[in-house]
This record gives sequence, structure tokens and C-alpha cells, in this order.
Amino acid sequence: MSRGGADADVGSALLVLRGVVGRLAAATRLESGTGTIVLRSVVQAAVALIRAEAASIALLDPATGRLVFRVAAGEQGDAVVGLAIGSDEGVAGYVFSSGQPLALGEADADPRFGRGAAEQTGYVPRSLIAVPLGDDSGTIGVLEVLDRRDGEPFDLRDLEAATVFARQATAAIRATQLDRDAASLLASALASLAALDEGQPLSATDTAALVSAATSELSASDPTWALADAISRIRDADPGQLELVLDILDSLARSTERRATTRRRVGRR
Amino acid sequence: MLPAWSEPFSGPARARLARQRPFGTVARAEAFGGTDGSGLRVAVVDSGVEATHPAVGGRLVESVRVELSGDDAAIVVDEGTDVVGHGTAAAGIIHAIAPGAELLSARVLGPDNRAKGLAFLAALEWAIETGASVVNLSLSSKSEALYADFHALADRAYFSNVLLVSAANNVPGPSYPSLFAAVVSVAAHDVRDPEVWFYNPSPPVEFGACGLDVDVAWRGGGRMRVTGNSFAAPHLSGIATLIRARHRGISPFETKALLAATADDPGESR
Repeated sequence: MSRGGADADVGSALLVLRGVVGRLAAATRLESGTGTIVLRSVVQAAVALIRAEAASIALLDPATGRLVFRVAAGEQGDAVVGLAIGSDEGVAGYVFSSGQPLALGEADADPRFGRGAAEQTGYVPRSLIAVPLGDDSGTIGVLEVLDRRDGEPFDLRDLEAATVFARQATAAIRATQLDRDAASLLASALASLAALDEGQPLSATDTAALVSAATSELSASDPTWALADAISRIRDADPGQLELVLDILDSLARSTERRATTRRRVGRR
Repeated sequence: MLPAWSEPFSGPARARLARQRPFGTVARAEAFGGTDGSGLRVAVVDSGVEATHPAVGGRLVESVRVELSGDDAAIVVDEGTDVVGHGTAAAGIIHAIAPGAELLSARVLGPDNRAKGLAFLAALEWAIETGASVVNLSLSSKSEALYADFHALADRAYFSNVLLVSAANNVPGPSYPSLFAAVVSVAAHDVRDPEVWFYNPSPPVEFGACGLDVDVAWRGGGRMRVTGNSFAAPHLSGIATLIRARHRGISPFETKALLAATADDPGESR
């Protein structure tokens, strides 16, 4: 095949890729993404298994620093979707900040929680569970479960069940975030490529720098991307450098393993 | 299915908390009888404490909050308010057990994990420096980056004869300082009795205390019925305050030993 033919192939491949990325980016912006479906099924399961009136998940919006209710289940739940509260306000804010799961119930006729939300949704709960959504990388939101249908207060088992649902939701959110990030990484790398002078062939170094720059935007919110970038750049190293890198990684792995062993002993459950 | 840390202290599982001599041989009257905690200060690092709440009995003598500017944390004097109710709940539980003790409050709620961790560190340091004998912590940090700082501070408290009492965290992943050896780590048991606590010889969570359906003080002069490890910790903080008031100068290690020696026998049915 002639050189011109190869260039034409690359050109059309690039166009197809741009088309795919455009659709991918549009699809991930739609709220009915798989992540939302999984989150909705988590709150539905929480309502069914804890036998509660309602459940909802609020996630931190990094742009505003507020907790925004994304999904809800139960007859009394839907009105809360879209509601935003301060991430250090009220019971949800406290649980988000402190990382401590809580169950609260009325001790008098005037419940002092959820009053702001109650005014906006028209539903005043008698009791609630609030559990942080979090993993090793930190806290990203709160799961709330409102009122047991049998009228009893929530107990330790309900609290643990809510904690298990919160873990599922956290795993689903983390996975969706990586998907979204992948789409935006492709989009921004292709946008930078399109902005370059099309007559100029790009060297391997140029393309690597371009993708690294696009990745660094994501690294601020998720360190996984910084790691992914570093690992993929190692592949471009010459054999001498590669050996050095492997030595460094080896000693790093040993020290991490030592630390993890110590932590496991401490963190046994 | 119970929260992981509560499971050893609840129901039939409790029978496995076998006691070894000489534990169980120290009478509670000897450990903390005849004292109300007078002469000691207890710090509550939480959402603030409502100074005027009847459950606090006017014993709140100092109240601060942490203000962050970048990585710098400043301790600012506060008027004694609680935007949530949680810190007031903790203070009320401690005051009910040790009404003679003076209460200190440091409010540390922050919007993100790192800010929260830095504010928490600053508040903990303030509590240690301000002469608290017991510091009640109903929160913990998940910031790996602050692991060493928390560890150093927990050691400093231990060697300065300050007892840290921390609620165990039921969320997976690291949790500082609630899993450090120098700290008294507490989970909720399933007995609705504030005078019942259990000792668990299998760390990291060594104590189970009252944290199910607890009637507590809440913001706006109100009350609330609550469940969680963060309400178990102040019960043990209160008892520890009595022990440290009765036996002035004993170390955190000795206090922990007396807490274990006076714990309820898990074999007794309640």
C-alpha cells in the first residue's frame, strides 16, 4: 500500500473515532446512564429489604461543594431528586463530613432533622438512617433511608444493611466515573489533535505529550488517571531506563506490601 | 447481620468475649465510685456543643471552631453553637455520667476529605494542649496523606497523659485515629443500658458501649432517639473521666485496663 493510502486510512479512522467520541460524550451526559440505573436499583433494594418508606442518594458536586440528591425510591422519595444541600449542613452533611453512619428517630413531636428538605419535599420523616458513601479514596456522598414501614425505630441491623447498600453504590459510582472520564479523555485528546496544523505529521513524542496533557486534567479529580498515564509512558522508555523503572517499582511494591500487611493486622474485621 | 464492629458485643456472639483473671475482679465502686468527674476537662471534637442546652448543665467552659485557609488551620473562639446536634448529644451523654467535669468543644465539620482531616488534626492538637484529660472523637479521617500526622498526635496524647476515645467507623478502608493502639476504640452493643459496657480482647475495637436507641440532647434545646457507634464512644468517655477523676494522674494505659476490669461480664444475661 502506498504512503498516501495509509494517510487516507488514518484520516478516515480519525473521523470515525471523532464521531464515536461525540456520541459517547453525549450519551454519558444523559442522566439515564448505566450508573444512574445501578444507583436507582440500590435505593429500590434498600427500600424493599429494610422495609422503609423511602431511600435516596446524594452525591457531592465538586463544582459547588454541595450534596445533590441524584436518585430516590419509595412513594415519598421522588420529590427529593435534584435538591441540593450544603455538604456540612444537617444530618446528611454531618454524616458526609464525619464518615459516621447514624440512625435517628423522633424523641419528641418536633423532629429536628431534614426540616429544610421536608419543607421542599412535603414529607417529614419520623426517623432516618444516613450512611456515608465512601471507600479508600474518600467520601463521595450519602445514602439516606427514611421511616420503617412498621413504624419501629431503625436498629443496628438496618444500619448495617444500609452500609452494605452504600458500598454497592460507591463501587457503581467509581466505575461510572472511570467510564465518563475515558470518554472525556478521548474527546479532549482528539480536540487538541484537531486544533493542530493538519499538514504537520506528529511524532510519537508529540502524541504522547498531547494525551498526557489531556490525562492531567482528569488526574486532579481521580489519581487513578495519573497512575495510568505514568504506566503507559513507561512503555516508551529505552531498555536501560526500563530496567531502572522496574527496580524502583519492585522496591515500591515491597514497601507497600509491608505497609499493607501491617494495616491488615490493624484493620482486621 | 450486625455492623462489623458491633457484632462481637451483641446477642449470642457476646459469650465469646471470655474474661481472664484478674479482669472482672475490680469493683466499680473502687474504680470510680464517689466521684462526679470534678477537676477534669473533657473535650468533644465534633459538630460543636450547644452551650445553653439543659443537658450540658452549663458546664461548657470553652468552645472553638477550626477555620482553614489553604493548608493553614486557625483555632477561632466560638459562641457555643451546634448546627447539627451531634456534638451536643455527645456532650450530654458525658455530662450525664460525669456532671462535675468541665466540657470543651471543638467544631470541625469541613466540606471535603482533606480539609476535614486538617481541621480534625488542628482540633485534636488544640484539645491536647488545652488540658483535656479525655478527648471524645466521634469522627475519623480517611486521608492516607494524614496517617503519619494522626499517628504522631495520638502518640503525643498518650505520652501527655491524655486519653483519646474514638467511635469505630463501620465504613471500609482506613480510619484514623480510631484504629490506633493508643486510642480507646468503641462500637455500639445491642443492650439498651448506658451502664453496660463490654471489653473485647480481640482488637482493634476493644470496647462495646450503649449506642442503640439512645435518648440524647439535640440542637435547639431538643432531644432525639439515635443509634450509632458515635453515641457509644461518649458513654465510655464519661466512665473514663470518672476513673481518671478518682485516680488522678493514672495513664491512658491504666485507664484502659480499669475500663476492661470493670466491664460487664458477657456471660451474664441482660
